[in-house]
Amino acid sequence: MFLITIASLYLNIAISIYGVIAKPNLVKKFIALTIAQDSINTVAILMGYRVWREAILQPPILLSWSPSPKDLQDFMNRAVDPLPQALVLTAIVIGLAVNIFLVSTILHLYRHFKTVDMDEISKLKRGAIVEETA
Amino acid sequence: MKLRDVLFIALIIFVTFILLIPTLLGSIGATPPGDLRNIAKLYLYLTYNIFNKSFWTASPEAVTAIVWDYRGLDTLYETIVFYTAIIAALMLYSEILGQRDVVGGIGLSFIVKRGFSIALLAIIAVGFSTVLHGMLTPGGGFQGGAIVAVAPVIALIVFSRKLFDYSKLSYRLLVALRSLALTGIVLVPLIPLALTLGNGFIFQNQVKTLARFSYPSTIIDVPMGGSLLLLNLFEGIAVFTAFMLAFIVLLYSEDLSKKPLEGEDIGY
Amino acid sequence: MQVGIGYVENLIFILMGIVSLTSIPFVILAVKSRDLLMAVIYSAVQSTLYSLLLFLLLAPDIVLVYVAVSVGLLPLLTILLVKKVGRYEA
Repeated sequence: MFLITIASLYLNIAISIYGVIAKPNLVKKFIALTIAQDSINTVAILMGYRVWREAILQPPILLSWSPSPKDLQDFMNRAVDPLPQALVLTAIVIGLAVNIFLVSTILHLYRHFKTVDMDEISKLKRGAIVEETA
Repeated sequence: MKLRDVLFIALIIFVTFILLIPTLLGSIGATPPGDLRNIAKLYLYLTYNIFNKSFWTASPEAVTAIVWDYRGLDTLYETIVFYTAIIAALMLYSEILGQRDVVGGIGLSFIVKRGFSIALLAIIAVGFSTVLHGMLTPGGGFQGGAIVAVAPVIALIVFSRKLFDYSKLSYRLLVALRSLALTGIVLVPLIPLALTLGNGFIFQNQVKTLARFSYPSTIIDVPMGGSLLLLNLFEGIAVFTAFMLAFIVLLYSEDLSKKPLEGEDIGY
Repeated sequence: MQVGIGYVENLIFILMGIVSLTSIPFVILAVKSRDLLMAVIYSAVQSTLYSLLLFLLLAPDIVLVYVAVSVGLLPLLTILLVKKVGRYEA
């Protein structure tokens, strides 16, 4: 069942990358890009899970403020990996900042070219270059 | 179903299989993994170890300790990248920043305004509580900043732009707050170096064997985490003001937003 | 493969599998639909299912950031974009 989770996340990544490449509308590309970012971050967190067959797992947060040495050993044996979570936190925030910049650029492109379709923008741009150099 | 669609579907399934077969054979380890890596065990053992205080961080939460103490430089550079992206998004509209909008509005109806005022206070309270408790429970600077950033965006839609144009929460105040928060983030790791006259480390939190400087490790009886509380607070303020600035600029009306584009079709 | 696994862990794995299998149709609908407003809504539903998956993987810090960003701020930003640019593609 764990393998079904990994396989469906890979399928999500493949479908959203297809959506970025093959659809000519800029807003559709933006939506598919956000789906791809989220799926890749989830795969990174999935690699930090673990299986321990004798007790229930816990997230990497210590619950008592004055632990005994046995508490620390238990914590080390039962907690999930904290390192991928710290790295994915950074990745989500940077992804959001770049997405805000992308939205600002799409609005600027729309006000200049009056359309958001990549095929028509490249035709207009080709026409403008031919005009300038003729 | 055209031939092109069938071909694309076959290609997607083929790519998924290419990624799946090495995973089945064990390329990212056993699935699911049975034991942690050694470095993760080391971080979990050392972060709140009151018997061996040579590497501890006085915070029972391992993720915040890794983000702001064991890997503090990564988070500093990530804050710089965030700052640069917001500056780049604002510089496209540099002629109209801080101006009042030409089109006024009246906002939504009376019921929505009254109901939203209660929810606004609740969102801000939850967000700040998440920021301040980052070293004891799941939380921290980024999480609390993203929660608080939802509130002014909806306020802009419910109360119309007049709330922001005619209030004291102007563009220059927000930029000043943001710069102060970023200065705070840069100063907190440099204070150990300044106070011990060169005998400390950058990003130092508690006492190490070669350097004898430490931020306080408890507040009355609650573990504080030393510099983690201050860094979380400054990061929360920086994230919240950055999102508020970006949304105020993106939500101008079309008449005013076309001003930076004047003259582009005649080539200035 | 997995031999002698505990009963509770088997249930959690089954739940993880069901949640991630349910999110595949929403991704397909978001990429295929021609109405951009419905694409944003399908993407927000998929983000909610992912946040349940992240909770089952025992990552509470990530769930807080993910819900605030991907179900709150990003659909808001994209609906603003769709309003200014045009609702239907092609």
